[in-house]
Amino acid sequence: MSVIVRDETGQILLLCKGADSIIFDRLSKNGRMYEEATTKQLNEYGEAGLRTLALAYQKLQEAEYSAWNEEFSKAKTSIGGDREAMLEQVSDMMERDLILVGATAVEDKLQKGVPQCIDKLAQAGLKIWVLTGDKMETAINIRFSCSLLRQGMKQICITATNEATLGQDPEKSVKENILMQITNASQMVKLEKDPHAAFALIIDGKTLTFALEDDMKHQFLNLAVDCASVICCRVSPKQKALVTRLVKEGTGKTTLAIGDGANDVGMIQEADIGVGISGCEGMQAVMASDFAIAQFRFLERLLVVHGHWCYKRIAQMICYFFNKNIAFGLTIFYFEAFAAFSGQSVYVDWYMLLFNVVLTSLPMISLGVFEQDVDSESVYVDWYMLLFNVVLTSLPVISLGVFEQDVDSEVYLQFPALYQQGPKNLFFDWYRIFGWMGNGLYTSLIIFFLNIIIFYDQAFRAGGQTADMTAVGTVMFTCIIWAVNCQISLTMSHFTWIQHLFVWGSVTTWYVFLVFYGELSSALDENAFKILTEVLTPAPIYWIITLLVTIACNLPYLAHISFQRSFNPMDHHINQEIKYYRKDIEDRHMWKRERSKARQETKIGLTARVDAKIRIITSFKKSSTTGKTSRIDICGNKSGQRQDRKQRSG
Amino acid sequence: MEIDEVSTSSANAAEIPSVPVRRGRSKAIYQFTQQNLPACKPVLTPTWVITIFFAVGTIFIPIGLFSLQVSQSVLEIVDRYDAECVPPSFRSNKLAYIKDSSIPKNCSRYLKVNKDMKAPIYIYYQLDNYYQNHRRYVKSRSDKQLLYGLKYNDTSTCSPEDATNGLPIVPCGLIAWSLFNDTYSFFRGTDALKVNRKNIAWESDRNHKFGKHVYPFNFQNGSLIGGAHLDPTIPLSDQEDLIVWMRTAALPSFRKLYGRIEEDLHANDILEVKLLNNYNTYSFGGRKKLVLSTSSWLGGHNNFIGIAYISIGSFFIFIALVFMLLHVKNPRPYGDTTNLSWTWKGISS
Repeated sequence: MSVIVRDETGQILLLCKGADSIIFDRLSKNGRMYEEATTKQLNEYGEAGLRTLALAYQKLQEAEYSAWNEEFSKAKTSIGGDREAMLEQVSDMMERDLILVGATAVEDKLQKGVPQCIDKLAQAGLKIWVLTGDKMETAINIRFSCSLLRQGMKQICITATNEATLGQDPEKSVKENILMQITNASQMVKLEKDPHAAFALIIDGKTLTFALEDDMKHQFLNLAVDCASVICCRVSPKQKALVTRLVKEGTGKTTLAIGDGANDVGMIQEADIGVGISGCEGMQAVMASDFAIAQFRFLERLLVVHGHWCYKRIAQMICYFFNKNIAFGLTIFYFEAFAAFSGQSVYVDWYMLLFNVVLTSLPMISLGVFEQDVDSESVYVDWYMLLFNVVLTSLPVISLGVFEQDVDSEVYLQFPALYQQGPKNLFFDWYRIFGWMGNGLYTSLIIFFLNIIIFYDQAFRAGGQTADMTAVGTVMFTCIIWAVNCQISLTMSHFTWIQHLFVWGSVTTWYVFLVFYGELSSALDENAFKILTEVLTPAPIYWIITLLVTIACNLPYLAHISFQRSFNPMDHHINQEIKYYRKDIEDRHMWKRERSKARQETKIGLTARVDAKIRIITSFKKSSTTGKTSRIDICGNKSGQRQDRKQRSG
Repeated sequence: MEIDEVSTSSANAAEIPSVPVRRGRSKAIYQFTQQNLPACKPVLTPTWVITIFFAVGTIFIPIGLFSLQVSQSVLEIVDRYDAECVPPSFRSNKLAYIKDSSIPKNCSRYLKVNKDMKAPIYIYYQLDNYYQNHRRYVKSRSDKQLLYGLKYNDTSTCSPEDATNGLPIVPCGLIAWSLFNDTYSFFRGTDALKVNRKNIAWESDRNHKFGKHVYPFNFQNGSLIGGAHLDPTIPLSDQEDLIVWMRTAALPSFRKLYGRIEEDLHANDILEVKLLNNYNTYSFGGRKKLVLSTSSWLGGHNNFIGIAYISIGSFFIFIALVFMLLHVKNPRPYGDTTNLSWTWKGISS
């Protein structure tokens, strides 16, 4: 990047800054005086983890400048596809024969908590790649400090050989060379017998341009996926996006990209989930991302706690939506068999109309959309059905979807392996979905047939009155409301006042609604006048049926969860029990032990580094006691903290 | 900033974050936004499971037995008369019989009372295969007209029974048009049993749905007679048969209240029913039955509710026993960590 200025004496200067490799290429012969010294200093800076820049200048003559300026203005004002190329060309003409001034280095410290965050994420089973625009030494050094790389890891460097040294068709031979490197490295990885061996793949931007081409990218991806950590240096923003796309499409797994600058925007948008860090680099990354956090370390909480909760909540909510709407909708279909398939609804007009209009807006807010295909003109013009999905059963579902916590957040942070329930898709597999749908079917059958058979044709009250369609429909609806709300309270495991309010409040709202609806005779449907107060409340059979049907509908689900919890529990069930019986407090030793076990086997991160050190020390001890000699690599920690000894003892 | 102390897990678990002290409303809002509301997290332990299942079972079975007993105490006499009441000469052409108004429709039936029936004894007529719940039928009425009569003009929902000969019909619609018109009178020996035909409809219907000043007008004047005629001098709110009939039933087989007998009936009484078989159920294969029934606090005779309670109660007890057996055989200690999935991996690897 350059700027042309005129100083006070009238001398025109071209001042240029850029990456050292680029600048050194453009130096003139006499500008290379300090090249060696500068290179040495740059390496030192890089090893210290600083971000470096080289500076150079050139003095320009008037004539030279004005000639060039003409060209440059022409290029600037040109319209067309190759404007960029023209500008590039013209700038290139000027940026040569520079005189080296020196180098700068900027400390770009790692944020607080980054090594621990990476460690936790690795323990949760996530794979971490780094894509950066820094030079290789800087990138490597920073990764050492957060333990993405460590001593003892075999580093595989894929580099493009210098083109100028090759003969005809340099590009092809460079590509072949890179392909050979990749193949060799893949062989090496495959033949590795030591299960604890870890490989790190390091590749730079120039090489990446070749490696991402269609004929090579699959081999590259296969090699990269086998390595414990991948570091791409000197990557341009476009390449960041391409690499992300390659991983996303090649592996089919969910990818998350996190970045803080404008150069990360392409990558963030390409990944399945984009996270932007708001901060000193500006807000471009934040504006392009799905989630924005303030510091890198918050990613841990975002993923492990909120991501997991979100997954569980949405899965449960969707399954439950299927269940309750199947339970409700099928009763209407069954009734058709008894109404000569004329399309008459057993539920009162207005109930369903109100329910369904408001229905479609609240669930959208609560992240689950379940469309209700009800035409107000034709058949189901019923208030009950409208109220059903909006008020009477959606609020509990919203409380399930927004507030449900099966395990506390602290437990998630301490037991990263619980995170794997998400990637393994334990809560939204077909078995579970069909199970809930089957439950809905069963519920609908119970509700409909029990009601119909009990209300068959005889009187339903001491006064000898028989039930008309309104009464039967209202009783059936009451049963549905109770059954469905009891079902959700069995599903939820975290009851705050909000859940209680929504669930029991929905049931109460139904009764309140019936009272009010029964009072409004003229405006609305006449048949339901005083339906609750006069017709149903004094009839004991109404209350008895409600109790019977509610309990009968929840029987299978209750039995299922009882047996599953007791004889085939899932991890979070056990955690809940431990918390419930306060065993985490009584038996701290057990709690810590489980904490340390509850992680995926990782090859990167602080704990992996500690484990590797332990292995080396124990193998050293073993070999020294057996009298054998062996070469040991004593790894020295360049920077970064040691994990505390508590985890080692666990 | 408040995010710091609750976000990441630090390696040193003993570090206590400094939480700024909050009061009242801001504390509540903070708890809400940080998803830290005080909560109860019930856990379904084996004790709870067994308790719940047994409790439900022990509550349900007595309720079921009681309901069954109550239902059994209700006595019912059901008599199907639509086939028998057609004179033998017309048995092959019932339609001609029912449509011909010159043929007398009298019929006598004899009912035997098996056990003592206490007053009041409810008289119902039961219709089978009659779809009062058909959508077109249910729609075909005008509630506003029932309240306001001729003052209310918009009776389009009643078509085709909204007007005839250019004049509006009150009450309009198919439901009113198809009013049931069989009549029954009861004799025990030579005494006529008094049948109370008042207060058979819902009180709210009489007082609020059918106008006190609305009279039948132009009713059953068309070419097709659907059912009963209405006395044009009696206001709709007193036409209880109509009111009862207009409460459309839910199922194709239904009973409607006709009246009450307010005397006891004794075992072995023979009741003679003199009925008029006016109503045409022959054109669609419907059936007509006459039902006499006592009632209990649960209503009429229906064993199903008792049976359902008993079966579900026993099912619960059965599951409780199975669970208890399995639990006693291989109890899983609470919070036992050997079941955690990472422990299996550790053991198996």
